[in-house]
Amino acid sequence: MTLLNIDGLSVRFRLRDATVQAVSDHTFAVRRGELLAIVGESGCGKSVLAHALFGLLPRNAEVSGRAILDGVDLIGCGEKRLAREIRGRRLGLVPQSPATALTPVRTGRRLLAETLRAHQRDPALADSLAEQVGLDAAALGKYPFELSGGMAQRLVTALALAPDPALLIADEPTTGLDRPLVDHTLDLLRRRCDSGGTVLLITHDLAAAERVADTVAVMYASRIVEHRPAADVFTAPAHPYTCALLNALPDRAFQPIAGHPPMLTALPAGCAFAPRCTHADGACATLPAGPPVACHHPLVTEAAA
Amino acid sequence: MIRLIRRRLAVAVPVLFATSVGMFVLGAASPNDPAAQYAGAAAFTASPENLAQIRANWGVDDPLPVQYLRWLGNLAQGDLGWSTSRHQAVAEVIGARAGWTLLLIGVTLLVVLAGSLLVGTIAAYRRGGLFDRGVRAAAYAVESMPVFWLALAAIAVFALGLGWFPAGGLTDVRATGTGVGDVAHHLVLPVAVLAISQAPWFLLFVRDSVADSLRDDHVLAARARGLPGRTVLFGHALRTALLPYLTLIGTHLPELVGGSVLVETVFSLPGLGAVSVQAALGSDFPLLAAITLITTAVVLAANLVTDLAYSAADPRVRVDG
Amino acid sequence: MAELTLPRPRRLRWLRPGARGTVVAATVLVVAVVVCLAVPVLWPLDQSAVALDQVGLPPSWAHPGGTDDLGRDVLHRSIYGLRVSLLVGVIAAVTATLVGGLLGGVAGLLGGWPDRILMRVVDTVAALPHLLLGIFIVAMLRPSLGAVILSIGLTHWLSTARIVRSELLSLRTRPFIDAAISGGASRARVLTRHLLPHVLPKIALATTLMVPHAVWHETSLSFLGLGLPPHLASLGNMINDGQRSLLTGAWWASIVPGLAVIVVTLAIAALSARWRDHLDPRVRAELDL
Repeated sequence: MTLLNIDGLSVRFRLRDATVQAVSDHTFAVRRGELLAIVGESGCGKSVLAHALFGLLPRNAEVSGRAILDGVDLIGCGEKRLAREIRGRRLGLVPQSPATALTPVRTGRRLLAETLRAHQRDPALADSLAEQVGLDAAALGKYPFELSGGMAQRLVTALALAPDPALLIADEPTTGLDRPLVDHTLDLLRRRCDSGGTVLLITHDLAAAERVADTVAVMYASRIVEHRPAADVFTAPAHPYTCALLNALPDRAFQPIAGHPPMLTALPAGCAFAPRCTHADGACATLPAGPPVACHHPLVTEAAA
Repeated sequence: MIRLIRRRLAVAVPVLFATSVGMFVLGAASPNDPAAQYAGAAAFTASPENLAQIRANWGVDDPLPVQYLRWLGNLAQGDLGWSTSRHQAVAEVIGARAGWTLLLIGVTLLVVLAGSLLVGTIAAYRRGGLFDRGVRAAAYAVESMPVFWLALAAIAVFALGLGWFPAGGLTDVRATGTGVGDVAHHLVLPVAVLAISQAPWFLLFVRDSVADSLRDDHVLAARARGLPGRTVLFGHALRTALLPYLTLIGTHLPELVGGSVLVETVFSLPGLGAVSVQAALGSDFPLLAAITLITTAVVLAANLVTDLAYSAADPRVRVDG
Repeated sequence: MAELTLPRPRRLRWLRPGARGTVVAATVLVVAVVVCLAVPVLWPLDQSAVALDQVGLPPSWAHPGGTDDLGRDVLHRSIYGLRVSLLVGVIAAVTATLVGGLLGGVAGLLGGWPDRILMRVVDTVAALPHLLLGIFIVAMLRPSLGAVILSIGLTHWLSTARIVRSELLSLRTRPFIDAAISGGASRARVLTRHLLPHVLPKIALATTLMVPHAVWHETSLSFLGLGLPPHLASLGNMINDGQRSLLTGAWWASIVPGLAVIVVTLAIAALSARWRDHLDPRVRAELDL
């Protein structure tokens, strides 16, 4: 059963003398209980996608398309409805960079209690939430600047879980954490899906996606180039970019991708990966169809079928 | 906290000291003869011997460092000297007037802070809108208006034109005492003028810092948690955006003092500002020097207090110190 | 405790005018300067003349700014007052810049503890009530243009000192300075050839930004009777005189000279804001990719 249905979602930013195309024509669905990982290099527009769903983009952003969550179009429903009905309860966010995402003049306990109260939940739940994410009571009484990176990460996760959101979006929740903490966080997300929750994991960490994701959407230069079950993506990548990304991993070929990703202000008309792609030919000057695989020369043909 | 106080004092005391030396040297270099001033109109008829006697009594002809140390010592003992323009002890003059100036500045500060907080926040919330643009344009325009001109314009419109408020003074001419209502009625225009002339600074600061903070990570995160708009604004955006507001009060006090001098003069208020202008016109060194030094010391102290308040209000600074 | 490194709020913040605003401001300023320069030749003023048969006339074709309580043409005297104010403003701003440039230069070039001490002193001096100090200085030296200029120079040097100092400190870390020094250039040569050309435009800008403040300070002192002698036309004196006329309903006697201050300082400030943007083009892209 579909929880989130994104249809033709695009985001661009108008700057003084340029237009940044951050999200291009995304169409995908997230099922209840699914853990979808959106992976891509930093700067490809992943976080913009998350902020677009929350309606928290800066004013110079232009958003088009639809994103239906549980019958409500997040793009068109307006700030009032987003604030009153959607954010927190239906859509939770584990924000990027927890250190700056925490209000500096409040202790963790006060932040948690405030969020619980705002969603008519018992403020006493703060301690059990903290326990769930692995935060002890002493840490809860501290100010954000007194917390280590790992503790701040666990606190923002607890804050996102406090209203018990239908869809949890975790934006780079493992950046800056050491391995055991990464695993702890990922397992938490996995357990949430296993008990009926739905999670959208935004990450540049392929290993993290491989560990917990049901499905993977690979993003390159504002587009989703491959969107398939995780097992397939990691064993038999279909898009040359996915393949190259996997080959860049230290425990695989450890071979970096040649060249640089294009500027989001000057995206090519055709496949954006073509300039760096060994399989590219004349056909790549036009935009490939897809998903599941947006490529004129997919490496695994049955996937495209 | 103690270190902060110590570090501030380590600079403030020498600066205050240097200011007093500079003022004293300037006073000594001044072409005015204090003895002749003391004698006032009588100086024209007084014999040279009498004047010399006055000079000797005052030690006017002693070496400058001796005179300076004597002056400073007297100040430290609370003897502020004799006002040559008002023929009254300086301490008396200041004691009778300081209260009115403090009242004017205090009430103005409250009005400015509350008003600019409200208007600046609304402008930041609707940034780019008609209200925001109008408020900002008005702020820039007011910023270029001399406060005494603004005061005259206010008198022309509200006192002489509409007759709503008195054009000057502290009490009604027929009044025998100083009734609270009477004083309040007389203070409406001065306070409003001073507040409006100081407001642009505070207003633009609030507007910009709140507008910036509305894009801060922690404010976006608070919104993403689904907190009500009011909670986000007061509990998350304003709390952090306005902490520097505290120190702004300290840094802006000198402007406020200057403005009060002009406003007191225009509205004939019996405060320190107006009397210091009279002292300046009468080259009254003891009174003017005492007012300037005391005001400087008070402003420096107020700066320290706002810094302390800032470090008390921000847990990051508090623990660090 | 941590250094309270809060951004010191700028004393002036102006609309960033679009091109149209810039043109208007530039036109106003050019007209004002030309009128001020040409008026002694084209329309000389007898400072002491009074016309008691033309007292308190409202604005008309003959007297576009009306006349004051001594029958003097308000517009004519306002132009003369503006002359004085602009002259004092420019000289005082240059004086303040020299003081601030010297101190900021020493701090920026030496760095280390002299810099720390000097900047603490600057922060403290910024907390001194400068109008009161100005009143004191002028009172002790007897009201005169020189005293007014000195009082502005001694109390308004802080922003220039800060600008020069931070500019020099940031330049010191730039590679081309290292290259010049390791290339064997002398200290003097590095200073005149490499540092000054980068700092001078900022100093010029700081001076220009200071002119409106100097004008306000001068008109304030004149208004209090501590500037030019009262019979001479200066904007502060005229607004002070206008206070008398106000009681008879002659609002123009103080409004017109006030408008001269406002319009000219607004034009200068708008132009210097434009100039600042040009020197320091920070494009604030509200973008969080």
